[in-house]
Amino acid sequence: MKASRIVIGLFLFSVIDMSCDDYLDTRIDTLITTKSLETRTSTLWEFATGFYAPLQTGFFILDNNIIEAITDDAQQSSPTGSSYFYTRGTINSDINPMGSLYNHYYEGIRAANFFLEYADENGESILRYNRDTIRGATSFQRDRDNLQWYKSEANIAKAYYYTELLKMFGGIPIVEKTIQTDDNPGTIPRSSYDDVVEYIVDLIDTHIDGLNDWRNTVDLTNEFGRFDPLTAMAIKSRALLYAASALNNPENNLDKWRKAAQAAHDVIQEMNYTMPENRNYGSSFIGNNPVRSRANIFIIRRPDDNMVERNNYPIATPGGGSGVTPTENLVSQYEYVGAHDPSDRYANRDPRLLATVVVNGSRWNGRTIDQSPGGSDDMSNENSSRTGYYLKKYLTDELNLIQGEVTQHQWIVYRYAEILLNYAEAMNEAYGPDQTPGDFTLSARQALMEVRRSASTNLPAIVTTDKDEFRDKIKHERRIELAFEGHRYWDLLRWKDASRVLNQPVKGVKVTRDKYSGDFQYTVQIVANRTFLDRNYRFPFQRREIVNSNGTLAQNEGY
Amino acid sequence: MEPSFIKMLTTSILLFACLMVSAQGESDGYADNDTSVQKLMVENRLFPTEMLTNTASISTIPGSTLDKMTSPSLSGTLSGQLPGLFVRHGDSKPSSNGSWSMIRGVGSYGRGTYNNERVYLNGFKVPRSLLSTISLAEIESVSILKDAASLATFGMEGANGIIWIQTKRGNIGKASTRVRLRSGIQKPINIQKPLNSYDYASLYNQAISNDNGQWTPTYSDAQLESYKNGTGTDVDWYDETIKNAAPYKDIDLIFNGGSEKGRYNIVLGYGNQEGLYNVHNTDETSNLISESFNLSSNLDFSLFNDVIEASVDINGRLQSVKRPDYTSLESDLSRYPSNIYPVYDELVTEDELNFSGTSLFPNNPVGSLIGVGWRVYNNRVIQSNFRLKENLDFIVEGLYMQQRFSFYTSSISGYGKTRSYARYYEGVSTTTHQTTSITAIPYHPVEMDQRMQGDVALGYDNTFGKSLIHSALNFRVSNRLGEGLINYQENDMNLSGRVHYSYNSRYVGELGFSYYGSDAFAPGNRWGFYPAVSGAWIISNESFMKDQNSINVLKLRGSVGLSGEVLTNASYSGYASNGRYLYQQYYAHSTPFYKGISAPFSNTSSLSASFIANANAFAEQSLKYNLGVDVRLFDKWQLMADVFIDKRSGILTNQSSAMLYYGNYDILLNIGEMTNKGIELSSIFENKVGNLNYSINGMVFYAHNVIDYQSEIPKSYPYNETTGRSYGTHMGLEAIAFYQLSDFNPDGSLKEDLPIPTFGTVQPGDLRYNDLNGDGFIDETDITKIGSPDYSSLEYSFGAQLEFKGFDFNFLFHGAAGGSVNLLNYGEFVPFVNNGNAYEIAKNAWAYYPNQGIDTRATATFPRLTTESNPNNFRASDFWIRKNDYLRLKNIVIGYDFSNVIFRSNDKISELRIFLNGVNLLTFSNILDKYNMDPESRYGYPNLKSYYMGISLAF
Repeated sequence: MKASRIVIGLFLFSVIDMSCDDYLDTRIDTLITTKSLETRTSTLWEFATGFYAPLQTGFFILDNNIIEAITDDAQQSSPTGSSYFYTRGTINSDINPMGSLYNHYYEGIRAANFFLEYADENGESILRYNRDTIRGATSFQRDRDNLQWYKSEANIAKAYYYTELLKMFGGIPIVEKTIQTDDNPGTIPRSSYDDVVEYIVDLIDTHIDGLNDWRNTVDLTNEFGRFDPLTAMAIKSRALLYAASALNNPENNLDKWRKAAQAAHDVIQEMNYTMPENRNYGSSFIGNNPVRSRANIFIIRRPDDNMVERNNYPIATPGGGSGVTPTENLVSQYEYVGAHDPSDRYANRDPRLLATVVVNGSRWNGRTIDQSPGGSDDMSNENSSRTGYYLKKYLTDELNLIQGEVTQHQWIVYRYAEILLNYAEAMNEAYGPDQTPGDFTLSARQALMEVRRSASTNLPAIVTTDKDEFRDKIKHERRIELAFEGHRYWDLLRWKDASRVLNQPVKGVKVTRDKYSGDFQYTVQIVANRTFLDRNYRFPFQRREIVNSNGTLAQNEGY
Repeated sequence: MEPSFIKMLTTSILLFACLMVSAQGESDGYADNDTSVQKLMVENRLFPTEMLTNTASISTIPGSTLDKMTSPSLSGTLSGQLPGLFVRHGDSKPSSNGSWSMIRGVGSYGRGTYNNERVYLNGFKVPRSLLSTISLAEIESVSILKDAASLATFGMEGANGIIWIQTKRGNIGKASTRVRLRSGIQKPINIQKPLNSYDYASLYNQAISNDNGQWTPTYSDAQLESYKNGTGTDVDWYDETIKNAAPYKDIDLIFNGGSEKGRYNIVLGYGNQEGLYNVHNTDETSNLISESFNLSSNLDFSLFNDVIEASVDINGRLQSVKRPDYTSLESDLSRYPSNIYPVYDELVTEDELNFSGTSLFPNNPVGSLIGVGWRVYNNRVIQSNFRLKENLDFIVEGLYMQQRFSFYTSSISGYGKTRSYARYYEGVSTTTHQTTSITAIPYHPVEMDQRMQGDVALGYDNTFGKSLIHSALNFRVSNRLGEGLINYQENDMNLSGRVHYSYNSRYVGELGFSYYGSDAFAPGNRWGFYPAVSGAWIISNESFMKDQNSINVLKLRGSVGLSGEVLTNASYSGYASNGRYLYQQYYAHSTPFYKGISAPFSNTSSLSASFIANANAFAEQSLKYNLGVDVRLFDKWQLMADVFIDKRSGILTNQSSAMLYYGNYDILLNIGEMTNKGIELSSIFENKVGNLNYSINGMVFYAHNVIDYQSEIPKSYPYNETTGRSYGTHMGLEAIAFYQLSDFNPDGSLKEDLPIPTFGTVQPGDLRYNDLNGDGFIDETDITKIGSPDYSSLEYSFGAQLEFKGFDFNFLFHGAAGGSVNLLNYGEFVPFVNNGNAYEIAKNAWAYYPNQGIDTRATATFPRLTTESNPNNFRASDFWIRKNDYLRLKNIVIGYDFSNVIFRSNDKISELRIFLNGVNLLTFSNILDKYNMDPESRYGYPNLKSYYMGISLAF
């Protein structure tokens, strides 16, 4: 039947005439695609930022605040929060609020690996794209230099992230490839602690010469803040110090201490800096000072905000939250620089005390802090400090939180005083307080004293020549000088002091007024009990990671 | 819309109707659409089939049945009408008036619970919003397509079912006209009022004392006394702002008629629904008012001796929603305590709008109605369909071709007049607001949606002896453009076909398929093939059944086949794709890195992959099995039963099995699996005793789903996991008691033998949980199932119709069971926290202040009050879960048709009926009784019960 064929033919024609696949191409890419990446030079620079993005400032590490609430230095004023999982030793593979740092830092490692792969494959061609490389030779060469520097930085970034992972989890898997280039990458077992340290040191030693010294490259100081040679050396110094410490060096292999001393000494030599005596400790953490100061090695810069004040101003200040409050355990450690004042227990103390801690009677937030019953900061008020102290370090006074006033807060990751203390500790362990063998230019005691004199030249002299007693002095100094800088918890762990110190209750003072004289009276009282279990020396891996690893990833002991 | 204009419009419509009456002297009677032959046909894609030989699972309800219930929208009438259609009433606010629905429960977590079925109107895809704009008077029938036999031809749109709507078409015969006017009032079912000032303040004293550890009242006895004797501030904000009734009216006018050559059905409709807000309509203020205008005309023509049939449908719908220019009134009403301030600040004299207000409670509810101006949103929907069918019998008997084209567009624009008012407290201005004069907000576009669809079909229908064949092949191309909410283009193509064969009205077989292409997927991976096979055995037509007449129909039917779903809710952090373009690798800027020597620091954004592209991403697949039986007994009793299994696979799911040490990334893979099973039963018994016609109908349907695989991150214990449970199962802790004083040591610490709660410190009166794993800690590992999901697993309805000598009566009950409610999702169950309000339930809180004579330790039904966020108490636990079973008298109508009484001699008037109609008059619900919470519409604007009267006239 001819007609029916015509009809069917017409039907099929109308169907087939549509170019089906064209019609189904509706994708309009308003987002960046792989293709659009290859035609933009800025892509390379943005990928080179990718491995910096996961850097964490210490201001918001736990309960959106600093980590010290889980040490003996401070107490979280809020009755609830994540810090209690640590102070009760209850973290496990399901509950570990800081466990997400694992994801963050491995994301940094992925971004670094990705950049290295991407730059090797496409870097040169992207830089050449749409460009006259002959007449524009100077800028072309500058871009090529940048690319080389950034590649070295990516390696240093990996070194940094591994040191952070190492201190939390112990030995971790070393990941050298990304899922972008290999969608079935398999699983990787944990490397031992020492292997990871060796890997870190190797990364730094290999790539340090490829880094640019941004802080001293005059026309590029706007890039200052990237990893530079000095930072790489500081990373190495801390990594080797941790590796030599009791937790990770149970046989007390002195060679590890020597390496740590050497790494710290390298930084000291490179910096060629002397800490000024009687410096203004408090102001060096405020505003733009951290960036300006030559004493600081690596700083994470942040846009202006007031979160640190919001979190830690006394609750009585509108907008404040009390937050992480220093303990009597810490305050009692500040030495006297003069005679005891029976009327003011906070007078004549190491000046770092009043620069770090708001005590009763301090002038703060436009008032004199009075924590006695009925006072401006009555301790019985809800969410006020239970220790009788508030945090002062990092905080700019009298920000109007209600009107949303903001200021700068820069997080110091590495600074000269830490390096001196790293050095003092490693030298003392390796050679004792006063030895300066070989190329070393100063002794443990000299390094320690430089830090102390910088705080105050009136601090009592350190006379002991006993290695063990001297070790305690160094630990003391580290606690005071680096208070609230994110060191204490990890120091207690690596010294293996945590099971002793973190099982002690934390104390505060109860502030009252004498009925007759009106003078403040202080009663030391227990604020909270603490529990630290042996397993807590390492963080647990997340259950998900252990289960997904199909047995290739061993959980830390005790979890 | 000016009231005078409405009057004019109403008058002119009535005038027009009167003219039509006089003009139609010849017409003799109104042709009732309900009796048309279509009632016996089952609507389906490509062609309808006779009910007897239908093999698919399709439920249909005539529009006339739905129209018995007065409702501003179609979607409000669907509860309990279609077996398999689970309906939950959403928001009763005029304009949003509508229901959520799902066909056969939740089939896939890829799309979640309600509103995932597609809606087709007269064979074309339309947005679901059409269910709230279409006029009920237009509707011929509403069907739901449920099984593979009916859904396979929809390809990647079919997996979650289809709502298939046909509008009325012209009938051959006398021209008829029908007018109906309805008006009535709508009243709130439930207003959840907070406590008055006295109760609020006394309980607040408890809460703050609980937090301080000793009796430290905030409100003094004198203040409490002033609340009690009426001298203190005690404002019932609901009384101030919500009226207890609002008017509703609508008018329909239907013209129907035609000849062999041309037929028409024209519907004119107007509806007006006012809100419950206590505010006058002036130039500066407005109640919530929703007005709708409908004009739809369906025209059919037969040309060239019926060789060519043509249809033209043109539908225009206008909806205008006017409201006060403030949208959070309902949440303010529930949050603002009674004692915060009086409505007006009497100390302010210089400002005509002397509203009280504070920085904590800035939006005085009365001010939110009177002091802010108004907005109006106009939604215009136009749908035009054109159809041309060529009957090619002259070539091959039964062959035809058909071309159709549809154009749909809706656009919303806004306009308004706005002002603001200053807030005062004790004579002092408390916020930066100032009282301003009213200013206009010019017309501005809000949203646009445009769809074009066209298809060509080739069909063949014929009978050979005892064999009957229906078949059709259809190719459809569809395009959608959107702006506003939908900022992209969607194209798809569907080549589909069905062959229906029946032998001797005993054995029926049917094949259907779709070859569906979607633009969402990678080139080369865009097309999917979805076949289905179904059959029926009409046992009652077998010879061995011929000799009896008690069983009129006995039919078994079954189907199996594939369908798909192209959309998904799965998304990455910050990138929701609806499942589109997952094959394309995209990169996004994230956290910048700051550098430099002084602030503001320079920064470079960092770039990383948004997700890992999946070149193989595809539509999820549904394999559906259905088995049904249709029975008709004694010519009176009809029974239908269906059982089904829906196996989903390939649900796009974010894979969680990769190692985290490869860095953060997301990848959506077609790996999820789910199983949904259920059963549907429905029955109608119709009888006539003398002059009494009556029928009784009932239905019950059930669906239960289980997530088989969802790449869930492994949990500590199997009972922690949601895999293996129904989608949306409430998970949480098991509360076993309130902590008592004896659970604590003298120093306030918890006794050592009790498990340590890790979510927050506890004190007497807090919730104590079951340590399921016995490890001594109450933590995430003690979480288990605490309640069934939010949605019902079982729905049922029953009703009856009676007709006796012009008198008619009918009612419908609708009920649901198997769902549960987490009270914590609703603010009134967390008293005082975050400056929150308190409700009746707080009165039974645990408290122990012997010196104040307060001791509820033995009788408490609520944990101790607190003003702080209490993460121990206010977290998911079975303490907060309530079963949500309910039964409603959805609709009741009583009417009387005078036409036989008055116009006995003159049969031009075929109907003159007055009627009374009540909607939602009764509700039986535990949570309504106990917490004044409507079981369906649980927060915000109250649900409504309505009383209407109406008159209809047909000639």
